[in-house]
Amino acid sequence: MLQIDDLHVRYATAEAVRGVSASATPGRITLVLGANGAGKSSTLRAAAGLVTPHAGRVTLEGRDVTGLAPHKIVRHGMVLVPEGRRVFAPLSVEENLVLGGYTATREKSAEVLAQVYEMFPILGQRRAGAAGLLSGGEQQMLAFGRALMSSPRVIMLDEPSMGLAPTMVESVLGAVRGMADAGIAVLLVEQNAEMGLEIADEVVAMARGEVVFSGPAEQARSNASVLLAFLGEAALVE
Amino acid sequence: MNQWYLSHEILIQGTFISLLLALSIQVPLRAGVFSFAGIGSYAIGAYTAAILTIREQVAPVVAIGAGVLIAAAAGYLLALLVARLSGLYLGMATIAFSLFLGVLATNGGDLTGGATGLFGALSTLTTAHVITITVLVLVALAASERGSFGRRVDAVREDPQLAVSMGIDVNRVRRRVFVISGALGACAGGMNTLLRTTVSPETVGFHLVVTALTMIIVGGALSWAGAAIGAVIFTWLPSVLQFVGEWQLLVYGIVVAIAAVYVPNGLLGLLQEGWRRLRRRGRRLPAGGASVAAAPVAEDPEEKLAALGGPTAEARS
Repeated sequence: MLQIDDLHVRYATAEAVRGVSASATPGRITLVLGANGAGKSSTLRAAAGLVTPHAGRVTLEGRDVTGLAPHKIVRHGMVLVPEGRRVFAPLSVEENLVLGGYTATREKSAEVLAQVYEMFPILGQRRAGAAGLLSGGEQQMLAFGRALMSSPRVIMLDEPSMGLAPTMVESVLGAVRGMADAGIAVLLVEQNAEMGLEIADEVVAMARGEVVFSGPAEQARSNASVLLAFLGEAALVE
Repeated sequence: MNQWYLSHEILIQGTFISLLLALSIQVPLRAGVFSFAGIGSYAIGAYTAAILTIREQVAPVVAIGAGVLIAAAAGYLLALLVARLSGLYLGMATIAFSLFLGVLATNGGDLTGGATGLFGALSTLTTAHVITITVLVLVALAASERGSFGRRVDAVREDPQLAVSMGIDVNRVRRRVFVISGALGACAGGMNTLLRTTVSPETVGFHLVVTALTMIIVGGALSWAGAAIGAVIFTWLPSVLQFVGEWQLLVYGIVVAIAAVYVPNGLLGLLQEGWRRLRRRGRRLPAGGASVAAAPVAEDPEEKLAALGGPTAEARS
């Protein structure tokens, strides 16, 4: 499980994250909500080691990984899927996946590859094609599959639904639920509060770098005032 | 044939040495690293081989090998030093490294022979040795473009941040390409010195940056084969262009400009594209062939949605 305690992230001029605490437990989805610039991505990036936190602690299954190099954090069982559906466009689908299993042994990698193809049959059908030729939704599936290749116990997803058609958003979030159901601890960042709340177990709402609400998803769904105050009306309008 | 070989031996040697030099720039480019440190390594290799051969009369393999090891170590240290730089700034820093070595050679006193350089580095190195070494290097590099290391290098070039968030140690890959680049450059420099028996600051100067870069731009930057094409063209072009006399440099410039603007992937890219088209035409793919060539945005979203229904349903259950 992932535990983030009192995390601070500071860029040259501004403090993007101010004392954020959050956690992710196996089999459950923790949804991080917040408007643009609330510090969601910075929190994820600091937890993944891509930026060095100014203060605070990140522990992974009891082990302190704060400020560790990002490639080492992957070896400790936590992987980040960055926003923007980033895939290695000129490489084939299978090459992308195999790269994702870079930290695993060869046999383990082959085994997980078969599981990923089972979970996302479309990737199996396109395994030899260039990743850049996949549609947006398929590329997101590939990014998920690639992350799963390292057999993570914690997976962090940065806005996987961004820029996708509504029906596609549903498929992508369905896949997120599937990963949690497989026993992985999921930390999901979403701007689309309505969709995110449908699959979340826990909710952390952020505004201006701070946590403004933290609790079970049912409570967040009914806590209209919190959502209204910090996420704007759009979050409530059905 | 034999007559031809004898009268062109210098050019043949030059082709293989330029190829190694071009590869010392091309290998870092594969990892998205714009580094000219290979040129500085060429100087290290050239001077190490000359000094060891003249002073200690060591065998050519020792003289060249020592330069390769020193330059590889220098490459490693340089990689640590410039770890935070990228793009143009990295290019500038590595050019500075190469120019610095030129200054060092000019002011090295008795050891480097100052501005006049060193003479009389006589050895038993032959053209056959040069060709053998280069071919071995090419085999190793071709192998490194495939397999696990090759994929990792591709990943680091395409998206270093994504690569690192997948567990690839980007800095380690970068350090490795700096070491390989240093070794390649020094190997070229050492062999060139022993074949010519002489080295001077002038022969390891800035013009090598231009030569190597020209070969890669025109040949193609993403594979050893591109560097090979470039090395052959620009080693032999001067003798082909003898009839234009002093206009040679102008022809050079025009060739490079055309390549940079119209053939961004070099001649190798053109050849690969042509080959792909031929094969596609041969297979006569129905409809599919066209959609592969088209941009991904142009694909039918409806079809994709339908195709994606399957995996998600499964993922949910």
